[in-house]
Amino acid sequence: MKVIGIRKDRCTGCKTCELYCAAERCSESKTLLGAVQEAPAPQPRVHVEGGPNDAFPLQCRHCLQAPCIDACLTGALCRDEASGMVLIREDLCIGCWTCTAFCPYGVITPSPERKIALKCDRCLYMENPVCVDVCPTGALEVVDLEEIEKLLHEKRLATAKAAAGVPEGSLLLLDQGRSVKS
Amino acid sequence: MACIIVGGGVAGFQAAAACRAAWPDRAVTLIDAEKEAGYYRTLLPQFIAGGIAEEDLFFPPRGVDPLLTVLRGVRVRSLDCKERRLVLENGETLSYERLILAHGGDPYLPGILATAACGGIFPVRDLTTARKTKEWLADHRNVLVFGGSLVAVKTAAHLRHAGFEVSLVVRRGHVLLRALSPEAAKVVENHLRDLGIRLHVNAPLEDLRIKEGVISGLKAGGEWLPCDTLLVAAGTSPDTSFLEGSGLLTDGELVVNPALQTSDPRIFAAGDVAVIAAGGEKISPNTWPQAVSQGKRAAENLYRSTPLPLTDLTRINAMELHGLAMVTLGPPVDGAEVISYERPEAKVRRELFLIGGKPVGGALIGDISAAGTLHALIHSGRVIGSGEAALLRPQATGVIPFPEPAGRREALILSSKR
Ligand SMILES: Cc1cc2nc3c(=O)[nH]c(=O)nc-3n(C[C@H](O)[C@H](O)[C@H](O)COP(=O)(O)OP(=O)(O)OC[C@H]3O[C@@H](n4cnc5c(N)ncnc54)[C@H](O)[C@@H]3O)c2cc1C
Ligand code: SF4
Ligand code: SF4
Repeated sequence: MKVIGIRKDRCTGCKTCELYCAAERCSESKTLLGAVQEAPAPQPRVHVEGGPNDAFPLQCRHCLQAPCIDACLTGALCRDEASGMVLIREDLCIGCWTCTAFCPYGVITPSPERKIALKCDRCLYMENPVCVDVCPTGALEVVDLEEIEKLLHEKRLATAKAAAGVPEGSLLLLDQGRSVKS
Repeated sequence: MACIIVGGGVAGFQAAAACRAAWPDRAVTLIDAEKEAGYYRTLLPQFIAGGIAEEDLFFPPRGVDPLLTVLRGVRVRSLDCKERRLVLENGETLSYERLILAHGGDPYLPGILATAACGGIFPVRDLTTARKTKEWLADHRNVLVFGGSLVAVKTAAHLRHAGFEVSLVVRRGHVLLRALSPEAAKVVENHLRDLGIRLHVNAPLEDLRIKEGVISGLKAGGEWLPCDTLLVAAGTSPDTSFLEGSGLLTDGELVVNPALQTSDPRIFAAGDVAVIAAGGEKISPNTWPQAVSQGKRAAENLYRSTPLPLTDLTRINAMELHGLAMVTLGPPVDGAEVISYERPEAKVRRELFLIGGKPVGGALIGDISAAGTLHALIHSGRVIGSGEAALLRPQATGVIPFPEPAGRREALILSSKR
């Protein structure tokens, strides 16, 4: 499954992703200039979290066991079998906000004027997610979870190998594959 | 002989699907007393008020599965755990290898309402009754909703929105007594009044007036309240009558462990019927999300040698009352520290209850931002730091510079999360 990956070290917290997401995915005019004049105000599906020094953009993680799907009162939240993505069927959503209370990442946004919940669908029907395209520092990219799994697996193997060679009573510095005597 | 599920509410249907997925070789039979099992019970208030069409109430159809049988319109009459057998109302017996009890709750009707022999009184619980209610409401406009539960409040708000004259009578304390602090309830009550609902709180039921076979008034808290329709939503109590003598009941309740297992290891329970004994407490959240998770978990546990506990046992819930959004994070606890943020003029109150620095509950009224994050925080069981406590306070920093239409803030979201 493909999801939007975040390079935390590259995010400067500029919120360009938020602006363009709101304009492209939630406005009538589809332009920034038009969007800021619209009512109801367009809402983004990505939110820049954290403080000035640790900002990072956060959007739906498309959890494999998604608590939002279990919480939805109407079946509006569902998994798209083809893409694996968790989507909100806006025609079924009644705006009860139950899902917003169950997403541990807090990435479902109520839209009271539209009476629907909004969340990232990775711009499934577009070539590329808008946020990924516009991020000026390349902090966002589309990644394949299977690829990431592979990388994680390699990392775990390396860690296990390193751990096996650590003398008792030492401290293992994970990720660096070396140990220090405590 | 395989798995039987009693009850075709959401817990039962989720259990059936999860059982077929987790144990593909096992046949599943789901039994429900209603003719039309498999619908979104939560949408009944909107349906009664005419906001949702009947065809939109039903669960999406599942593909054909030869190993899943659904028996509708059949009530289970008794259970024999020793023989592993269920007796149905029609006299038929069914044997099971594993059993999930997911037969929900029955509406609680206070004494004089249960025995009242007149037209115009309807509990808000099932589709058959909801249909009759809707028909009745076609030429009756003066509705009295009795109860302070989430269902009562939702029903009152939807009917009022649809133009009915609505009174809401709450027997004890305030609305949502088991979920909200008095301060938070006040915000909700003010909103209900603003919607035009006549609210009578702390008004115990005293008498009924019947005219020509139809309800015409109710006396509560010393006052006669005229009405031509009485909708009862004063909570539910599980119907455990068919379990009597089965040995599964403790003081009349179907108590299960956190893995949803009853005292008989082959029998599990899920949804509104289950009372979960966890951490010295007995919990029955009676919410839709819990019925879903419990149905799934019970099914996954059926053939596990060590059944796994439910991972998120919470009472968390949400609702939207025509302009007021709210999330209940857990009921007030005696002796807990309360941290709160309030903007009464905007109908906002956000509060957290802390014990030993750990959040255990709270409520977000009027501004539900960070609800999911706060839920996760409560779930983690950690002592919260000042940064996390600040989640309660909507932060104005870093908001996208979209102009705010007037009144929007009252409706919702104040935080940087926009
Ligand atoms: C009007 C209304 C609105 C609600 N709104 C919300 C909301 O907004 N948010 C929320 O979280 N929760 C809400 N709830 C609560 C939520 O719907 C319930 O917690 C949930 O439906 C419980 O599901 P269940 O499967 O455990 O039980 P149920 O849905 O009650 O299903 C039990 C089924 O078992 C059947 N049954 C009973 N006895 C027998 C028997 N002996 N033999 C065979 N079948 C039997 C019944 O016919 C029924 O179909 C609402 C409830 C109601 C009534
Ligand atoms: S909305 Fe939240 S809970 Fe649902 S899939 Fe996305 S990240 Fe997971
Ligand atoms: S707000 Fe919409 S998507 Fe979320 S739980 Fe309610 S109906 Fe489902």
